[in-house]
Amino acid sequence: MNYFAGIDIGSTAIKIVLIDEAGEMISHYITPTGSNFYRNALQGFNALLEKRSIERSAVKYIVSTGYGRKLFKEADESISEITANAIGAKNLSGIDGSIRTIINIGGQDSKVILLDDGGCVKNFVMNDKCAAGTGRFLEMVSRNLEIEIDELGDYHFRSGVPLTINSTCTVFAESEIISLLANGHSKEDIIAGIHYSIARRIAGLARRIGIDGIVLLDGGPALNRGLVKALEDELMRDIVVPEIPQITTAFGAAIIAREAFLAERERVHA
Amino acid sequence: MEIERIKKSTLNHLSMEAGEILKRVEEDFPDNPESMKYFYDLLRKVYCYRERPSDGSITIGTMCLQVPEELIYASGAVPLRLCSGAYSFERIGTGPMPARSCSLVKATVGMLRLVPDFYRDSLKALIIPTTCDQKKKAGEVIREMGINVYFLELPSRKDTEDGRAYWYYSVKKLVDVMGEITGRRLGKKALFNAIRLLNRAREEFRRFYQLRGSVPPPIYGKDAIIVTNAFYFDEIGRWIESLSRLNKELYNRINKKEQVSQRHAPRILLTGSPSIFPNLKIPLLIEETGGVIVADDLCSSTRLLYDPVVIDETASLDILLGAVADRYLRPCTCPFFIDNTDKKRRLLQMVRDFVIEGVVYQAFSGCYLFEMESKSVAKALESEGIPMLYVETDYSPEDTGQLSTRVEAFLESIKQRRRGLHI
Repeated sequence: MNYFAGIDIGSTAIKIVLIDEAGEMISHYITPTGSNFYRNALQGFNALLEKRSIERSAVKYIVSTGYGRKLFKEADESISEITANAIGAKNLSGIDGSIRTIINIGGQDSKVILLDDGGCVKNFVMNDKCAAGTGRFLEMVSRNLEIEIDELGDYHFRSGVPLTINSTCTVFAESEIISLLANGHSKEDIIAGIHYSIARRIAGLARRIGIDGIVLLDGGPALNRGLVKALEDELMRDIVVPEIPQITTAFGAAIIAREAFLAERERVHA
Repeated sequence: MEIERIKKSTLNHLSMEAGEILKRVEEDFPDNPESMKYFYDLLRKVYCYRERPSDGSITIGTMCLQVPEELIYASGAVPLRLCSGAYSFERIGTGPMPARSCSLVKATVGMLRLVPDFYRDSLKALIIPTTCDQKKKAGEVIREMGINVYFLELPSRKDTEDGRAYWYYSVKKLVDVMGEITGRRLGKKALFNAIRLLNRAREEFRRFYQLRGSVPPPIYGKDAIIVTNAFYFDEIGRWIESLSRLNKELYNRINKKEQVSQRHAPRILLTGSPSIFPNLKIPLLIEETGGVIVADDLCSSTRLLYDPVVIDETASLDILLGAVADRYLRPCTCPFFIDNTDKKRRLLQMVRDFVIEGVVYQAFSGCYLFEMESKSVAKALESEGIPMLYVETDYSPEDTGQLSTRVEAFLESIKQRRRGLHI
């Protein structure tokens, strides 16, 4: 049996997806990027193989993506996370209708990708210069409010009236949150306010290229139901979140790996 | 004393900045034409070692391609385009200019503040066309620094009779001003020779423009930018000769079917804010990622040299002046003019002529003219099925990481589109 791997080395987490020759997802693995992402990616990859008792030699093609893509030497080739994300989203199973807009919130960037009728990348925007409205922002919030990051969603739904958070800069927002806390505001209202502030920012990004069709939200922060709700409110439409939203891009890279292997084999035979 | 220290450290930074870019330009690309060496060496001499090409003529600075250089040559002086692409100079210009103004204007102000004699010996005067607001107001700042600034007035419209009359009047006034500066009255013969000289440069450039757009391309776009940037300060005769040598080499390459890039490298057109050495951030990102810029309509490159002055030998001085004025007004597609229909028309023409697969539009942060016009350009291109990547950036290198991902994804989307969709 032949296998194909997609490895997405992001700023916060490394995501690895293994698929088989039929293109079915076999297994996945998520691990923090840490300071030595090359070692961590390699360890993660080996752990995944071990978990499934798959020999390294059975993995025929590896495609890396994410910001560490160029430095992962085990990969056969690399591809940008925008293309990988689009291909992964298009091939996700269990989503009715065709996805035209992908919103990805990553550790240090957020992007909106528009697909054309055939599922090709038609246009995309991403934040260039700052980490506002990304996973890093949410990490800062949970640290300041001393709650776990996966609790943010629950707090959101307990909020009465969300507060307005004015600063979009992560560092300035931090001091704004501290002063809101000092003024006796509840964590619930602060968190909901944060979610709306991120959602507004992303909606602004989305409006720059115009959103269309079914909207898919992925990336780690898509696990936060409060943020999803805020984004639905700001975009004024429903959003689909995949079952494991962190791995869409790695899945896309794995599909490209499989495709590249099959094309190469075809060439050799022809 | 302090200014001397700033100057020393800035020029140090500049050598490093220019040196690093030249290293990438030369070493990251294995198949550079041999005749490019002249241009690389010239830039290295000027930017890294400050050996300036000067023949002792009176130097007239210009801050935009709208200054009719014929009038400068005809009065025995040499023009010197001073628009700067150096991040090291931008940091100096950030003091006198607002924080959100355009990198190019800030860098030029910074250079003039610190080393007004950067390219040559003393500047006699600096001509600033009244195109964008930032250049206009920067002119006042520059004047306060003790430089002799002359504002060349331009109309906001070029498609009306009033606009043209206004511009002819401005050009005639510039003739008088040049006479005052150089002490020479404009003669018909001198103007005629100046037109011929510049037309020769343009003719050589047009040959280059065609060769560069061949399928497959014989040269990278970063080299085209370097060639045209050298025109700013190189002695014009030597520049024409060097470009002619390069053209012969490119012609031979095409005959031997030699190419610089991979065979299926996406063919890109670069438009928007000008790329001026050492700011080759976007062009290098595109070409290091596997694309090739086969055409551009930048005011720092193609638009600087494409159009000739159309004359006949028996024309009177007045008619010659009118022809020069026309050459600078009509073909100009700077976004400061009201109505950009002809910019879109020209872009679409290039898309067809050079088999363009994607357009990259760079807008310097703070240049609201290019920023505003990007939408309608994107729409025009989209209607012809050509994707456009809009990049808002400046001279600082801090967004390079993010931009490289965007450029890479853009090139991938072109390839994906080309292959059709089997994934």
